[in-house]
Amino acid sequence: MDKKKLSLVQFKRVRLNEKQLRNFTGFLKTKGRVYAPHRKGEKSFSFQEVDDPSKVVFNYPRTILPLKKFFQPPIETLLEFTINDNSYELPDIDNKNKIFFGVHSYDMQGVLRLDYVFSRGEPEYNYLKRRENSTFIGISFEPDEYHFSGSVGIDVENTEGFSIFIDIVDEDNYVVFACDNTGEELLKEYGIKDFESGEYKLKEREFKAKLKYHYGRLPQIFEKCYNYDVWKKVSERCLGCGNCNLVCPTCYCFDVEDDVDLKIEMGSRTRRWDSCMLNEFAMVAGGENFRKELYQRTRHRLHRKFKYITDHYGYPFCVGCGRCSQYCPADINMVEVVNDLIKEHEEREKVYV
Amino acid sequence: MKKRGKIKVAFFDFTGCEGCQLNKLNLENQLLDILEHVDIVEFREAMDDKAEFYDIAFVEGSISTPECVNRINDIRRRSKVLVAIGACATNGGINSLKNIHDIDEVRETVYREHKYLFPTLPAMPLHAIVKVDYKIYGCPMTQEEFLKVFKSLVMGKKPQQPDYAVCVECKLKENECLLQRGIFCLGPVTRAGCGARCPSFGQSCIGCRGFVSNINQNASIEVLKRYGYSVEEAVKRMNMFNVTEMKM
Repeated sequence: MDKKKLSLVQFKRVRLNEKQLRNFTGFLKTKGRVYAPHRKGEKSFSFQEVDDPSKVVFNYPRTILPLKKFFQPPIETLLEFTINDNSYELPDIDNKNKIFFGVHSYDMQGVLRLDYVFSRGEPEYNYLKRRENSTFIGISFEPDEYHFSGSVGIDVENTEGFSIFIDIVDEDNYVVFACDNTGEELLKEYGIKDFESGEYKLKEREFKAKLKYHYGRLPQIFEKCYNYDVWKKVSERCLGCGNCNLVCPTCYCFDVEDDVDLKIEMGSRTRRWDSCMLNEFAMVAGGENFRKELYQRTRHRLHRKFKYITDHYGYPFCVGCGRCSQYCPADINMVEVVNDLIKEHEEREKVYV
Repeated sequence: MKKRGKIKVAFFDFTGCEGCQLNKLNLENQLLDILEHVDIVEFREAMDDKAEFYDIAFVEGSISTPECVNRINDIRRRSKVLVAIGACATNGGINSLKNIHDIDEVRETVYREHKYLFPTLPAMPLHAIVKVDYKIYGCPMTQEEFLKVFKSLVMGKKPQQPDYAVCVECKLKENECLLQRGIFCLGPVTRAGCGARCPSFGQSCIGCRGFVSNINQNASIEVLKRYGYSVEEAVKRMNMFNVTEMKM
């Protein structure tokens, strides 16, 4: 487990105060479009393009939507067509330089997991094109009651995917690590001449929310839990609103729709995020619905996180960000659901031993 | 698309404020485009003509008198496709609030000694009486959705309409959750399609588009309780537009 934490030590680092770090954010704007967490309303945060570096938030629990919104937009035009001659045009996909500043380790892992699904089989052109020329700068966070990324193998200080990682020591004290050549070059261009190296002591960070088992043991539960009582118990409280899917960093399902203009000459094909918790998600032509009941949909969603893709990816397709729990109006908590499954599993296994 | 002759379209109204009918007349520029494909053959708000037969009938308002029942049956007989427009026609709307009171008391209150001159029924959505082919929800229905359905029908195609919660559209816009800010909201149970218009301006969703199908009603009351509303209050607020869909 500690291997990833130790890996920070191998990187060159520099200490910056708040003013310097904001200056650095401003400098990044000369390198491309910069996106960073901003305050959104009273209690929420959101990744937005940086206009004024003084508005960037360094210390935040999580944003409403994860980074997927930049690579697979909530609503996007896939093509524009003309009915008379049956022709179509593809829109231009923007692949200019983008720098994502202040990303938490679990959100980075969310992007890496989407890279995995979208580059296999039939590669997802629009996603992969937008994903080009992206640089990620990570930042540490203090786990709140919803974070459980530690339980799915993602430490706060996990640097995979980052060019730079920032450890928040306190409000005016940031340790900036150059994790790869791109990161080191950026810091040098900004004007950093002297890097420190060697021993670095990380702050102890404890996750309050924890899965009862190591994630490596979850597949054995999902192997057997298809008819467990937990599914029905959870869905008694569920509204089927789909919030959990929409805010999830590793959910990428979409629906496609054609629309035409009023003269019925031209039209466009758009796609928007869809959600396996919604009524019509599993409905096919003719009106047959393969997962009509909420408990079937809940079961599918969790299998999708801990079993189906996990079987070939090796890690859960849940990154432990806690968004699904925080944004659930019915207060259904992912950690509690998985722990209840573990509990039911233990009870059932006891009977059969 | 129909090749020979234009599609005959008619508009009708029952119990309601006529807002859904009127806001179509505000579609001035767009209507000219679509009129290339259709003939409007009956529309009390805009013309005097009458017709025998309609390819598409758009019907507003709820059914609330025995006379309404006869008229909607007649319209249905003459129409190939019947579309209910607006909250009153799709689920009874605000008119249905009368249904939670004793019907005689309601008549007494409204008509006093003349109450026997005005037979009345509980307010019903159109589908309680006749087969409805499509529904355009909302109070009032939005012009965008009306045009979308209209276009689809002119093209002979099934309109694609959402059967998911307003929360979906709210999240796509990355709005801060109103419930979590301590503001009442029916977004999690209300049918989307409005683009989360009210919550996007910080106003609570009051459920004007009706419930998503198969709602978990007990759970939705529990959610409102969780945010500090009593069961009575929760039911009262859900009733405003959804009396005919409540299971209590």
